[in-house]
Amino acid sequence: MTDYVSPFDPRARGDDPLAPRPPTLAGRRVALLDISKNRGAEFLDRIEERLRADGATTARFAKPLFSRAAAGELIERVAIHGDLAVEGLAD
Amino acid sequence: VSTDRTVYAIRVDGHLDDHWSTWVDALELTRGADGTTTLTVAVADQAQLHGVLASLRDLGAVLTGLRIVTATLGRRMAAVRAPQFSLPSVGAGEVTLASLTAAGPALVVFVAEECPTSRLALRRLAAVAEGLAGDGIALAVVFEDPLAVAARTARTAGLEATLVSEPPPYATSRAYELVSVPTAVLVDRDGGEAGRVVGWDVEAWDALLAVAAAQAGVAPRRFPVDEPRQKPGCGAKSTYDEATMRLDAAAGSAAEEIEDLFGLGWTDGLPVVPPTRDRVAAMLGGRAPGATLGPVPPGMGEATLERVAACAVLAGCRPAYFPVVLAACEAALEEGFNLNGQAVTTSPPGQLIVVNGPVREAVGLNAGMGALGPGWRANLTIGRALRLLVELTGGGMPGGLDRATLGHAGKVGACIAEAEEVSPWEPLSVERGFAPGTSTVTLIAADSPLSISDHRSTTPEQLASCLGWAAASQWSTNWWPLAATSLFVVCPEHARLFADAGWRKADVRTAIYEAVQRPARELRGFGEVPPETMAADPDTPIHKWSRPEDLLLIVAGGEAGRFSAVYGPSLGMGAEVISREVAA
Repeated sequence: MTDYVSPFDPRARGDDPLAPRPPTLAGRRVALLDISKNRGAEFLDRIEERLRADGATTARFAKPLFSRAAAGELIERVAIHGDLAVEGLAD
Repeated sequence: VSTDRTVYAIRVDGHLDDHWSTWVDALELTRGADGTTTLTVAVADQAQLHGVLASLRDLGAVLTGLRIVTATLGRRMAAVRAPQFSLPSVGAGEVTLASLTAAGPALVVFVAEECPTSRLALRRLAAVAEGLAGDGIALAVVFEDPLAVAARTARTAGLEATLVSEPPPYATSRAYELVSVPTAVLVDRDGGEAGRVVGWDVEAWDALLAVAAAQAGVAPRRFPVDEPRQKPGCGAKSTYDEATMRLDAAAGSAAEEIEDLFGLGWTDGLPVVPPTRDRVAAMLGGRAPGATLGPVPPGMGEATLERVAACAVLAGCRPAYFPVVLAACEAALEEGFNLNGQAVTTSPPGQLIVVNGPVREAVGLNAGMGALGPGWRANLTIGRALRLLVELTGGGMPGGLDRATLGHAGKVGACIAEAEEVSPWEPLSVERGFAPGTSTVTLIAADSPLSISDHRSTTPEQLASCLGWAAASQWSTNWWPLAATSLFVVCPEHARLFADAGWRKADVRTAIYEAVQRPARELRGFGEVPPETMAADPDTPIHKWSRPEDLLLIVAGGEAGRFSAVYGPSLGMGAEVISREVAA
């Protein structure tokens, strides 16, 4: 093939694979991230109830605007306080 | 009756004067820089050749070289006419052999673009073409290629001549019993073949011009004697067997390259221009290929200038468009524009580019008739280049990281220009703080445009209401206020109605804003309603837009017709409108 100049960056982020699922939620710390989408908090309230019933501990986080990427500092806090995270995408 | 004559080049020592030409009946006499003289003669048989050589010896010339030149003169002159043809031409309709020989002899040159010897011959012809036209000698080049290829190849060679295209299976080439290209055939005024040259041989082509000049009654012209003086041609396509012709049509063809790029995924779903190193270098125009505009959301691929240029080539841009593409990409990558949100959302926005200033004319952007639609390369390819950067470099491909439920046609690329010369108002760029006459791009996160017909309003108030209420269902019927930007594209006739009433842009903006309001209770019946409208007192008037400043106005479109349009907003992105100057 002719020598073309690629528009792609080989280091760009692609589709990330799903993280391995934990076998049980009992005793795990779950970070709940509200992305500030309409009724996202309601969804997370219900999830929080269910998680606690399963023996997990929870911590709530929020980012100011759903359509903007989370700040590095927020991602760090979620990582510190959670063994796993649930994000509320809603409408 | 065959009257074919074979042409010989006879080289002798010393510089001979022109009288020798007459004594041996030479077609040409050329004095070389190496102190020799070359006589070009045409003879019917070996006996006649020996006669010429004997004359030279008798006159005291020292023979140092003898060569058969590739020209044949007077080929089947009396018995066979040059085959007639009627072929499509570049810019002059059907061209027939009869039309070419109507006023004098015609030089018909068969070529193929992929043949280097053909291209060499075209470059050499470029040096004599204008002179031949003045001499009354027609010059027609028959390409075994499509018309577009013929036009490009001749342009590259700097040749101006009648260009015709012969489609497969090359019936004309077959009728002329072509073996290879280039082949030049001299046809006299009566339609007889007066000579033929196969391949490139400057002495042979000179001999052909000499015969043509004699027929036209003018002094002969010469080709430049640049190297190479001789070069064999390439097989004429008319000689290909069917399987070869089929393979040739597919192998290495532009269509196949485009298919390759579809296969690689270097596309938005439309054919692309292959981003070869040469094309990308031309697009870069000397800019540093490794310099970067920053990471492109959502995949955060780095927008090196080389990758931006590759996207511009893929999109079909000319290098002249690149400053506009660069400014648009820079603007789109500004934090406040939130390209990241736009690139991955389920909602539909594309990135609309509005261009102001002299660069519009410089690159051929259309702001007139059909301003939002197809037909103009600059508009379509500049917008597409930005979108390809998002989709390829940024990885924001629909169905991949781009999760748009529907998207819209404008996401292929949308670049429009303001008709500043027609507008009664200051251009968008000036409203945005730039000096008049500055070339700028303004980036707006935009849904598809909605066309608004109003051929009846006679007052500016009526027209403002019509435009505003048409836009009142934007985003969602009961989503008031929008809290996002709407761009109105006001057609020239509508702009004139406003201007004739003394209305400025700000007046139109305020009038639309004020016209479109409803009590909160009317907005709560169904569908999406903003929380603040749900919470408001039922009789509180709610405007469609949060503030008049969210309405942008430009003027564009054809002189006739009262059709304006409004580009829908992009909600939830917090997308600021971003303007950037286009660097000279």
